[in-house]
Amino acid sequence: MQTVWPLFVYLAAAAAVPAGMIMVSFVLGARHSDRATGEPYESGIVSTGSARLRFPIHFYLVAMFFVIFDLEAVFLFAWAVAVRELGWAGFAEALVFIGVLVAALAYLWRLGALDWGPKPFARLSHSRHKDS
Amino acid sequence: MSSADWIAISPLIAVAAAAVVVMMLAAFWRRHAIVAAASMIGLAVALFCVLPARSAAPRMVTGLLAIDEFGLFYVGLLLKGSLAVAAVSYGYLRARGRDAEEYYALLLTATLGCVTLAVSAHFVSFFLGLEILSVSLYALIAYTRERARSIEAGIKYLVLAAGSAAFLLFGMALLYAEYGAMGFAPLAKALKASGGANVYMLAGMALILVGAGFKLAAAPFHLWTPDVYEGAPAPATAFVAGVSKVAMAALLLRFLTQLGATDSRPILIALSALAVASMFAGNLLALLQRNVKRILAYSSIAHIGYLLVAFIAAGPMGAEAATFYLAAYMITTLIAFGVVAALSPRDRDADAMEDYQGLFWRRPWMGGAFVAALLSLAGIPLTAGFIGKYFVVASGIGSALWALVLILALNSAIGLFYYLRSVVAVYARPGEEAKAADRAPGFSLAGGVALAVLGFSLILLGVYPAPLLRLIQTAIASL
Repeated sequence: MQTVWPLFVYLAAAAAVPAGMIMVSFVLGARHSDRATGEPYESGIVSTGSARLRFPIHFYLVAMFFVIFDLEAVFLFAWAVAVRELGWAGFAEALVFIGVLVAALAYLWRLGALDWGPKPFARLSHSRHKDS
Repeated sequence: MSSADWIAISPLIAVAAAAVVVMMLAAFWRRHAIVAAASMIGLAVALFCVLPARSAAPRMVTGLLAIDEFGLFYVGLLLKGSLAVAAVSYGYLRARGRDAEEYYALLLTATLGCVTLAVSAHFVSFFLGLEILSVSLYALIAYTRERARSIEAGIKYLVLAAGSAAFLLFGMALLYAEYGAMGFAPLAKALKASGGANVYMLAGMALILVGAGFKLAAAPFHLWTPDVYEGAPAPATAFVAGVSKVAMAALLLRFLTQLGATDSRPILIALSALAVASMFAGNLLALLQRNVKRILAYSSIAHIGYLLVAFIAAGPMGAEAATFYLAAYMITTLIAFGVVAALSPRDRDADAMEDYQGLFWRRPWMGGAFVAALLSLAGIPLTAGFIGKYFVVASGIGSALWALVLILALNSAIGLFYYLRSVVAVYARPGEEAKAADRAPGFSLAGGVALAVLGFSLILLGVYPAPLLRLIQTAIASL
């Protein structure tokens, strides 16, 4: 236990920082309730309209694909820095990795997940009629 | 990697390749029957690859995977279980009648995670296998997405599994920080060199046990179990209960044995506490349930408690008992949830007690299989569950764990009550309403064959366990 005490000091410090911030702003903060207090602050400009917009659901889907496929690049960078040491075996493994990614992309394309429009996943709904 | 290495890991490669092939079929040739057949063929090929892999064993592949008799025994068991789940799923998904194809790709990746766990001898492959399994399970559990319960179960599992993975990683990090090793064998060596347990080791092991306990649904980490079992589609529940737990238990068995963790008194006490809590929580809470899937969920918590007794019992006898128990448990659970899947109509799962009222008189074979599974769970002779429980008790007595064995016996008596209550329902005379509504929409030929084979193995292991025991003995000897 002798060597663990810095951990507890660290824990105490980590708790003290946010607790202190909240305390200080509670003590020093101005308390008033005017007409505009509850309104969101937009650089002094009065905000108009609702924040609840309707995004096309496809926006999220494409964003997700981007994150997924972008993340895979990280693994390729890790391979790239050691490409000479890993040799042809490493190259073959990277090829398999990319091959699986291409297969996933082909799957998404065939399913219609990449089509932007009012009727995505046309193939899914079509097959539903055929199989049931 | 040499060619022998490739042969050794060929079962894993076969499952991974099958997952990609099934995904391509789902994209380009979208027929449920073809995709289901392809995934079953893929699993069968992987199962066949276990034979050449055995001839290449024992062998460490890349320091992450230990291909030995123990690992390959569990790989075979998990692949068979997965095959049964795929067969049972076919009828269930056909009755549901929409978008069934991706299910099989997810099932194959989940299986890949399971077999990776069974052969992993390193923290990296441990975590990798666990994550492959977990991520596939999130989607499998929420697969029937038109049902609110299913989505709820998926999200609950996602949040809790992510939390438990954090515990697990922190535990691994602590052990690595102290001993500078991530492989089980180097870790064991470093542990011995440093002269026994210290506070880092115990803290690390405690955190790893939390992560593993979550996956095994051992009390007090069992809170997700009933909700997830109830919400998930029945074949996915069969996978979570029957296959993924076996994989996690196999890994834990290897990890604890190689580290000699059962020599450490604090770890034994922790495992005993988990065992006692699981047995009581599972059996007592099951008494309060009317929903068949929830009863089976609580019963599975209790069974993990029984299993942990074999973990605590020292030596090869405990490991053998645990392995036999797991095999029996997997077969039994798959039958129980397989029958639930076969009886499920299109819009819900057959989880009300009324669905089983007089099942034996309406469908004698299915009712018989369900009763056999319940009796095996209760540990009645002539079933695999009895032999499994017998070995667990024997190993407990062999290690003089009197208190645990007594608690196990007491809990078996409690468990008998709710199992027999379900058996009574199956044998009750069906009402006119039930007769009129008698259908098994989720039944398919493949599922029927799988249930028949499972039922046959259940009885065979109950009356003639010797061949499996010999196999288990060679497997444990290699550990």
